Amino acid sequence: MSNITTYWRVFRTFARNSLIRDMTFRSNFIIDSISSLAWVFLNVVLYLQVFRFTNSIGDHTGWGRYEFYAFFSTGLIVNALAQMFFMTNIDEFTDLIRTGGLDFLLLKPIDTQFMISLRRIEWSSLSNLAAGIIVLVYSMTRLPHLPGMGQCVLYGVYLICGVAIYYSLMITLGASTVWMGRNLTLYDFWFYITTFSRYPMEIYTGQLGRPLRFAFTFIIPVLIVVNIPARLMVRPLESQNGWLAGFALLATAASVAASRWVFLKALAGYRSASS
Amino acid sequence: MSLIEITKLAKSYSVFQKKEGLGASVRGLFSRSYKTIEAVRGIDLTVEAGEFVAFLGPNGAGKTTTLKLLSGVLTPTTGTATVMGHVPWKRENAYRRRFALVMGQKNQLWWDLPAAESFRLHQHIYNIDPQEFQKTRDGLAEMLDVARLLSQPVRELSLGERMKMELIAALLHGPEVLFLDEPTIGLDVVAQHNIQTFLKQYQQDRKVTILLTSHYMKDVMALCRRVVIIAQGRIIYDGSLEGILDRFGGLKVISLLVADGQMPDDLSRYGEVLKIEPPRAKLRVERSKVTEVLAAILSRYAIDDVSVEDPPLEEIIAKVFSDNREEVVGGSS
Repeated sequence: MSNITTYWRVFRTFARNSLIRDMTFRSNFIIDSISSLAWVFLNVVLYLQVFRFTNSIGDHTGWGRYEFYAFFSTGLIVNALAQMFFMTNIDEFTDLIRTGGLDFLLLKPIDTQFMISLRRIEWSSLSNLAAGIIVLVYSMTRLPHLPGMGQCVLYGVYLICGVAIYYSLMITLGASTVWMGRNLTLYDFWFYITTFSRYPMEIYTGQLGRPLRFAFTFIIPVLIVVNIPARLMVRPLESQNGWLAGFALLATAASVAASRWVFLKALAGYRSASS
Repeated sequence: MSLIEITKLAKSYSVFQKKEGLGASVRGLFSRSYKTIEAVRGIDLTVEAGEFVAFLGPNGAGKTTTLKLLSGVLTPTTGTATVMGHVPWKRENAYRRRFALVMGQKNQLWWDLPAAESFRLHQHIYNIDPQEFQKTRDGLAEMLDVARLLSQPVRELSLGERMKMELIAALLHGPEVLFLDEPTIGLDVVAQHNIQTFLKQYQQDRKVTILLTSHYMKDVMALCRRVVIIAQGRIIYDGSLEGILDRFGGLKVISLLVADGQMPDDLSRYGEVLKIEPPRAKLRVERSKVTEVLAAILSRYAIDDVSVEDPPLEEIIAKVFSDNREEVVGGSS
């Protein structure tokens, strides 16, 4: 049996077991889904209010009402995917390091990073994903031109890149627990990072904004996570998009490679916990 | 070449020394002192295929650390080890398919799901043929008498039942080497006995090589012929169970049944009096003086019955641990 088949079967079992577990605690599952949807709804209402006072985010930025909704929904989709597949797992990873539970994962004849990253699928995040897709489709129908097939494919590719960049940041932070001993800042970090990436990069202007834009594009490339797929979808003909899209591919590869390196270093330094 | 070969294996940790009080905690933010803990201090050991070896030692002796080194969870500070020709801490999949580690204090099954679901996951991880998987799973469940519990969530199982499920999960892929770290810890006498019986039977049938750590002498006496005693990270004994008596059992217990109930009042001159319940008495004497003491007692008093026994093994081993600790503490002061 090939490696890919094995990994696919293991992933499928992870997904299946997670679903069985979620169904066992259905009240928790329902509350989780409802609270996520409520958060999306409140955000939509907030931006509706904002657009009562203006027609675009900044002057001549190209981010009109429906362009921005497409941007917002792209953020929702990337976040939902990252939370569905990785967030719970990486959060649990820090606990596994602290409590020594990682021992068992190190014994399995399968890539440890794969095991750690995909053990549990957070099915309740599907509600956010669905909400994101609905808002995206609605926004696109309100724009003058519907996207072509090529645009949709590119959008999918850059969504994956965005999720991969988020994931790289998460796993790097999670792995650092090996050296820190205790690391409970993952959710805080996630909140701060996604706050920066939640808005179009054009808003970062002026003396304070420009350094932020530079840092979050080239050093910790979270600004490209949502911006690139959203720009390709709603503002495809802009001159900046070409090099930004190329850079996004490079940044994704670099982020994934760097996080893998940190992860392997961390595993080599793993001390386990006394039993 | 032996199945397991360990040469001068050592593992040390640097541990932060936290001083008491708020002031010390604040100072600790800027300047910290660390202490090096030598968990394993250059041990040498070989184990042949099919052996069932017990690791005995007090808490913190280095038993679990040694098992974690051999299973590749930890990387040693110095030294070498091979298990079935593999260097464990390289964590090669080819090696990881051939052994299993069971830890009595840790749980690898999905807590909220029936054990059967975790077993299915193991089937895919280890690429076990479906028919072979079902046969092995059912066989093990029957041997351990937990077939009826396979579809019950793990969190609803008793500790003993959970440990049986952990053993099944560890054995599904047919490991050639099994590391057992206190598999009966916290279990009641019946559950301990069931697990001992299972392990003995399984080892005899499959000729698996097993390294076991346990605090329960009953586990060791029931299962292992070879015992390795570790204290303060060093191996201080490697041999048979009986050999422990020869090596460390410097004392014997003499039991007397005095005739006519005339209990002598000067028994303490012959050795340490353990118990006097007329007409019976128990004395602890040095092994080398047993003949001399017996001759003296028999010549002076009317004795109906006499027996000479070794003290209980637990007592001897506890003394070995305690002596060794004092030695190290004394040596370092």
